[in-house]
Amino acid sequence: MTRDVPVLASGGCHIFGGCGFPSPGLQSFEFKPLFSIGSFHFTKPMLIAVICALAVIVFFWAAFARPKLVPRGVQNIGEIGILLVRDQILRPSLGKKGDGYLPFLTALFFYIWLMNLMELIPLFQFPAMSRIGFVWPLVFVVYFTYLYLGFKHQGFPGYIKNMIPWDVPKPVLIILIPIELARFFIVQPFTLGVRLFANMFAGHLLLLIFTLATWYLASFTVGLLFAAGSFAMMFFVFGLELLIDLLQAFIFTTLTAVYIASSLEAAH
Amino acid sequence: MSGKGNGAGPRFAAARQAAAENRAQGLDIGWTVFGYLIAGMLAYGAIGWLVGRAVHVSLLFPIGMLVGLAISIGFIIYRYGRQGALTRPSPRGNAEGDDR
Repeated sequence: MTRDVPVLASGGCHIFGGCGFPSPGLQSFEFKPLFSIGSFHFTKPMLIAVICALAVIVFFWAAFARPKLVPRGVQNIGEIGILLVRDQILRPSLGKKGDGYLPFLTALFFYIWLMNLMELIPLFQFPAMSRIGFVWPLVFVVYFTYLYLGFKHQGFPGYIKNMIPWDVPKPVLIILIPIELARFFIVQPFTLGVRLFANMFAGHLLLLIFTLATWYLASFTVGLLFAAGSFAMMFFVFGLELLIDLLQAFIFTTLTAVYIASSLEAAH
Repeated sequence: MSGKGNGAGPRFAAARQAAAENRAQGLDIGWTVFGYLIAGMLAYGAIGWLVGRAVHVSLLFPIGMLVGLAISIGFIIYRYGRQGALTRPSPRGNAEGDDR
């Protein structure tokens, strides 16, 4: 490949550098260990998860360690965050009697949101939720919480009984029972986790594709147009991801509240 | 403050709360419907696979999935396809305006 075309970016893989487009893939989600203790390898996504957890704890600690009647500074921001979760997520599903779950839902919402936002923050630039191993623990916490609450408030037979839609004709009921049980015990937690994972995974891939393409195509030729197009798309996807990060945290937490509500009282 | 001003706050809070409740209910119903579609295929696909394994007819697995999908679609139409069927009995109903 010719080298006499002036390129805008040196280093990395370039269209005039003699290499093909370094398309992102599963390898983009693998990281070398930052350090290892025996067979345990501490990687960048783990560091991000720890930083996010600490950030949420420190923020709410700073906001409410010494709360004032008239909120000032960080307490103001903390109260806005808590009221957002209470009025937009908790109360619409659980009502006032569900206020006891506010700390759980607030922690869940802000932890997921921050973890998602990490894909847009320079240096981190990776959503840990795009590794499904970080999603399943949250799903299991939610799953066992609403199962426990369901068995506690409705009793084991009552909880199972309330999953079944008794308002349908008896012959239809028999064929619906396997579907209801599969939906409740398998599909519901599975979709809760996969939705968050898949959105973060796809978002990160999109960002990588347009970032790499901008670099790969940049040159003082007609390719500059394609690089500029890719650059514009990168900003578009960035804006989109900003919205999706919030939306996914919102959906996960809202559905958690809905599932807890159905455990506290029968929905059918 | 005028009477009009006094009424606008609670009205706005009530409208905002109704919108939030609609959003939560919409999310719930949307994902429940999606869940039924997947669960139908999963449950009857599994039954078809087990029966097919016992009688050595591998075709029963895809047939089971299709039957499950058909049952799910039928039930979704029965449950959610009618006018006014989207208003499920709500355990909420007691959330009022901001009481900070």
